Amino acid sequence: MNNKNKGGDMSKRTVSVWTDNRFWMRSAGWVTGFSAALLIWLTFDTMSQIKMGNDEDLKNGIAKRVPGPTVINYKITYEMSDKRGHEVPVIGGKEKFFGRDDWSEKEAGALLHLGKLGSQAKNCMNCHTLLGNGAYYAPDLTKAWLDPAWGKIDSSGNRTGYLAMTGKDTREEAIAEFLMHPSQYPTHGRMMPNLNITADEAKGLVAFLKHMSSIDTNGFPRNFGKKDTTLREKRSN
Amino acid sequence: MANTLKWEGQQLATWYFTVAIVLFGAQLLMGLIAAVQFLYPSFLFEIFDFSVARMIHINALILWMVFAMVGAAYWLLPDETGIEVVGIKWAKLGFIVLTAAVTVVVVVYIVVQIGPANDMTIWFINEGREYIEAPRWADFGIAIVLVGFLLHVFLTAIKGERTGIVTVLMADMIALVGLYLCGMGFTDSISMDQFWWWWVIHLWVEATWEVLVGVFAAYGLIRIIGAQRQIVEMWLWIEVAMLFGSGILGMGHHYFWIGTPEYWWEIGALFSALEPLPLVAMFIHVTYDWGKQQGIAKAEGRDTAIANTPALAWFFANAFGNFLGAGVWGFFHTMPQVNIYTHGTQFTSAHGHLAFFGAYATILIGVFYIAVQGTNNIKRLKATFDFKMGIILLNLGVFGMTVALTISGYSQVLVERAQMGATWEAFFISQDTLWFVQGLGWRLAMGVVTLVGFIYLVKDLLSTGKNKIHER
Amino acid sequence: MFEPFTDLIPSFFGTLNQYPLGLTGFLHLVIILPMIVIYKQEKKRLENEK
Repeated sequence: MNNKNKGGDMSKRTVSVWTDNRFWMRSAGWVTGFSAALLIWLTFDTMSQIKMGNDEDLKNGIAKRVPGPTVINYKITYEMSDKRGHEVPVIGGKEKFFGRDDWSEKEAGALLHLGKLGSQAKNCMNCHTLLGNGAYYAPDLTKAWLDPAWGKIDSSGNRTGYLAMTGKDTREEAIAEFLMHPSQYPTHGRMMPNLNITADEAKGLVAFLKHMSSIDTNGFPRNFGKKDTTLREKRSN
Repeated sequence: MANTLKWEGQQLATWYFTVAIVLFGAQLLMGLIAAVQFLYPSFLFEIFDFSVARMIHINALILWMVFAMVGAAYWLLPDETGIEVVGIKWAKLGFIVLTAAVTVVVVVYIVVQIGPANDMTIWFINEGREYIEAPRWADFGIAIVLVGFLLHVFLTAIKGERTGIVTVLMADMIALVGLYLCGMGFTDSISMDQFWWWWVIHLWVEATWEVLVGVFAAYGLIRIIGAQRQIVEMWLWIEVAMLFGSGILGMGHHYFWIGTPEYWWEIGALFSALEPLPLVAMFIHVTYDWGKQQGIAKAEGRDTAIANTPALAWFFANAFGNFLGAGVWGFFHTMPQVNIYTHGTQFTSAHGHLAFFGAYATILIGVFYIAVQGTNNIKRLKATFDFKMGIILLNLGVFGMTVALTISGYSQVLVERAQMGATWEAFFISQDTLWFVQGLGWRLAMGVVTLVGFIYLVKDLLSTGKNKIHER
Repeated sequence: MFEPFTDLIPSFFGTLNQYPLGLTGFLHLVIILPMIVIYKQEKKRLENEK
């Protein structure tokens, strides 16, 4: 090993820190520990930002990333925000949900809870994606509540889409009916199987879907419903 | 089968490996059923639906790899520390409990499948969260056995010789087991649910599991080609620094679209973009050490440095597969500008298939071969025809599936996401496009190739121990 | 180059996010910089060893 010592300095010698195991061991320890600490700090911040909102927020028009359960009492749309540069969910005026627009926080919370439980008990994620995560056998459900395929009642009073197929007058009833008897309303060779979903469970699931569509997902999915002009209508209220 | 192994811990390892291979086989079978259903959706409709086949496919995947990793840890622990695994009798009991629990869970998956929307279903049938569908009772069981496993590792490591490899293994296992607990809760908020879900999945497959790959590769290189411990362990520390440095905050690339703040775009994208780098490091490490040791062997007049050709070959498959599957395919869609279109499509599936196989299946199969060598007291394990067929067909099969799914995914992204805006209609139209369907057809074909490769692999693992061609 | 803060809820990280590579730069720096300290300490230790 060459020795660059000039004079009589005996304490310093040429060393290679880059091939020293202890240096890398300490570096690995530091990097891991500090990254974990940063992750925890970021987690605290994120937790506060995604905490579910409540009924007061909705009444006062305070936008939350994850609204409270009583969002089911309101009309939800998905519109481009020039400020954010992507689509955002917009919570509009009151809208009836299964005949009522006065679901209390407790009632709406119970519906959402049942729906979330149902989405797990029925294993939805192993065919569908929720917020884009899951299996890719069936459509993404993030904005399923807003899907044009459910149809509407047009100006002459005719039902279109699933409203027509299920003979229902509201979107939520059509979705519930579909969930209870999916293979009776196929739109493709790849059908959804019968999962023994009861009427109550269906209601909960629809509440879950409506709530999920109100979550601010930073613009995912992009250009939702772009091809259909239904969602491009301006809010009339 | 007489136990010629010196350590009971290594014997326990072979039990874990055996269950792992059975689960691997189950995974492939379920995958084939699911692949057929994509093309022929009436196949077993309402009898054994896609959701059930897919659930068992991904659960078997995770479980076989967990079994194999635990086994690999038990295999190397006595060898590295120089002592028997502390509490080995309890460890063996843990294995029996774990295997029994897994069996019950799978039987319930197959026979009962789903339940009503209440807590009983969550406790006893299906928790319905991807990869961790196992009902809550099993969650607790798995957690207890894993904590027990952790104790065995810890107590053995502090009692015996604590090498760098063992230190990393110890620390990593603490993280790995602890993270499992993050997935055990229930919340009404889908955003909160998915936030914590990723602490298990991401910090397993893109952090702690990759570190285990480094550990097993380090151990393997010392045993198989006589690589120098100091160098191998230096590389291991570098890899750990790079893996956790990129992987921990890289978790943010799963927080783009689940309701979490926009700052995750930058953190997630730019930390996870670095995740391929440690995989490059592992690649260089394996190939460089191999070349160096071969050179030394030739210079010393020996004809090879390799004591276990199949194992080393699978380590190379890992070097390539890890970098390609996890690194390259992952990098393709880690930028939010891309991911907003590809999130939740067959593109994701393409990445997942090659990543899981290339990063984990390969190295674990390599460890299986190390165990075969040890169990049969073979000085130099050589390549057999069955081994060659196995490695070629498995790698070709999975890579072929990945390419097929990439093409399907590309078509899906173009039509469903870019052109038509991700509606119900958009989804089904894209599912019927020509490239998409053809891609799925090729995926099924390559899946069959994979299964044939697996059969050769099993044949070889069962028979090579007795083969006369090896040096003893 | 400088992006105005547009996210829903303000935060320290969101503020850093306004500057070009601000957030990633800050986080990477704060992780890597102490390695320089570790390097210096290890160098001294190795030189004084023996």
